[in-house]
Amino acid sequence: MFNRSRRNLATWFTLTMGSILIMFAAGVYYWEVIDKLEELDRLLYKKTSLMAANVKSEMHNGQRQLNLEYVPFLGSMVQPLLDSQLVYASWYNEQKQLVQFFGTIPSDRLLISGGFDTIKTDSKVWLRQVTLPVYQNGLLIGYLQAAMPMTTTESALAEFRMVLAISAPITLAVIALTGWWLGGLAMQPIRHSYDHLQRFTADASHELRSPLTAIISNAQYGFLSKSTDLEMQRQRFQKIFEIAKSMSILVNNLLFLARYQGKLPTESLQVIDLNNLLVQITDDYATQPDAQHLGLVCKLPNNNITVLGDADLLRQIIINLLNNACKYTPNGGQVKLQLFTQSHWAVIQVIDNGIGIPEADLPYIFERFYRVDKKRSRQTGGFGLGLAIAQQIVQSHGGKITIKSIFKEGTTLQIYLPLK
Amino acid sequence: MRILLVEDDLEQLEPLQGILSEAGYIVDAAEDGEIAQWLISQKDYDLLIVDWMLPTINGLSLCRQYRLSGKNAPVLMLTAKDTTADKVMGLDAGADDYLVKPADLVELLARVRALGRRVPNWQGYSLRIADLQFHLAELSVERSQVKVELSPREGQLLEYLMRHPNQVLTRNQIEDALWEYGMEPESNALTVLIRKLRQRLQLLGAGDWIRTVYGMGYRLNPQE
Repeated sequence: MFNRSRRNLATWFTLTMGSILIMFAAGVYYWEVIDKLEELDRLLYKKTSLMAANVKSEMHNGQRQLNLEYVPFLGSMVQPLLDSQLVYASWYNEQKQLVQFFGTIPSDRLLISGGFDTIKTDSKVWLRQVTLPVYQNGLLIGYLQAAMPMTTTESALAEFRMVLAISAPITLAVIALTGWWLGGLAMQPIRHSYDHLQRFTADASHELRSPLTAIISNAQYGFLSKSTDLEMQRQRFQKIFEIAKSMSILVNNLLFLARYQGKLPTESLQVIDLNNLLVQITDDYATQPDAQHLGLVCKLPNNNITVLGDADLLRQIIINLLNNACKYTPNGGQVKLQLFTQSHWAVIQVIDNGIGIPEADLPYIFERFYRVDKKRSRQTGGFGLGLAIAQQIVQSHGGKITIKSIFKEGTTLQIYLPLK
Repeated sequence: MRILLVEDDLEQLEPLQGILSEAGYIVDAAEDGEIAQWLISQKDYDLLIVDWMLPTINGLSLCRQYRLSGKNAPVLMLTAKDTTADKVMGLDAGADDYLVKPADLVELLARVRALGRRVPNWQGYSLRIADLQFHLAELSVERSQVKVELSPREGQLLEYLMRHPNQVLTRNQIEDALWEYGMEPESNALTVLIRKLRQRLQLLGAGDWIRTVYGMGYRLNPQE
């Protein structure tokens, strides 16, 4: 499933980036063509204007006479330029009639009045041709037409096309690889939360199925059994009742976790005096059988500390934490409930000197259904949801919860709540 | 038939063990993988019912190790894991059947019977010696159209004797086969059980088929 999404992401990325790349390459090529053409035109223009500058028109007996003898290519009095690539050059008079030419035989009449053209010859060579009207003293004396082959420009462009043809697929491949890598990167948190959810579902289904199985099996055994022992039957009912009761606690916890996602609505918050709350809790809790075997101490500051929150929820998690502390602290141990402030936080600490938590378990301790010792907590009736609930309540108050523990020496849980 | 039941949740273990015992099976129960492994090394079982999620050694590795050790009794995996991938993994680990919790006990018993039929020395639903027929599922013995019902315990004894006919079986052998692991039978328990079974067979005119071999044990000796 993840690989398919990753492939999709990579494909879309490659397609998008690939189209952008291809459009970019096409643009670059287009500009290169224009650039090369301009370069060629400039060269052609330079040559033709040089030729045109050598045309002399003189007045003889009131008649104008044209002298083309000193024009390169056309005249005989001058050496042709060496590196010239001109294919042909022709001179037309002002009536657009051919006067003199060099190279291929042109048509007798000039059909166009000026400008650049691209033409194809019979021998399939592309030529760039310019037709230049030539003026002298503001008078049109004739037209000069010349053409150059486009072979160099063409080969330069062909070379550029080759470079593009090689580099574009390579870049495309790099884009595809990057897309695959980015896809993997993007999938990571999704995969992580998916795994998390999978684990949670597996745990939840196991935790719910176990008591269901026990209830069903006990009930079914009850009516399938041929035994007439009434005491046995009573015990079986008792067992079913107890399992159902503990299952109802589990279901309540799960519903609670589902209900209190995110921040609490502000209208449900009230001002809570934490000193008062903790005194009440300690007084109530000291009479619980769980707390009888050890010393429960409450240490409060002199000034009152108030926070905004839901008193019932806060009471529930503090009792939860006290329950844990008392459960895992042997006879004669001590559990300390402490309150103080730290910059903008009200801090509630639950400290015990009980059996502690192994270091390897600490990172997972707030995960739902996580239990350090499955067997032990099953006997003490825990589902591994207490700390997850505590964390969720604290987070819904905009606070945080941390744990410090040394195995076999004790555990400290700290709740940070934003001060009012 | 001797069954090893491995389940770590006592609340689930008890009714399972109860219903299987009432159905006439000898059930040894183990609460974790290590105990199960030790029991397997001590006894030969005809069927294993194994939970997947177990402390120490989980059901999957238990199953694999059991198969690797070359033993071939059928294994029924009974677990809350219900995805197809889980089932595939369980069956590939060597389980012969896979039942998802919460399972119906009636279905469980049917599957146990079905798996039991695969045990090599099982002959269908009933055992027969001469003209005496023992219907295993109903725990009843039949001879010349007369039918007698047996208690689960009597059934177990008769099954064991019928599987080893004409053979002298010591008290120890019988006790070992019939009592659950770690249960020390009272000194006269077997004698009482033999007597009860003889009384039942008496109703079919076969009371003297179970012979006492003095100083040694018992022998099932059908009379033609």
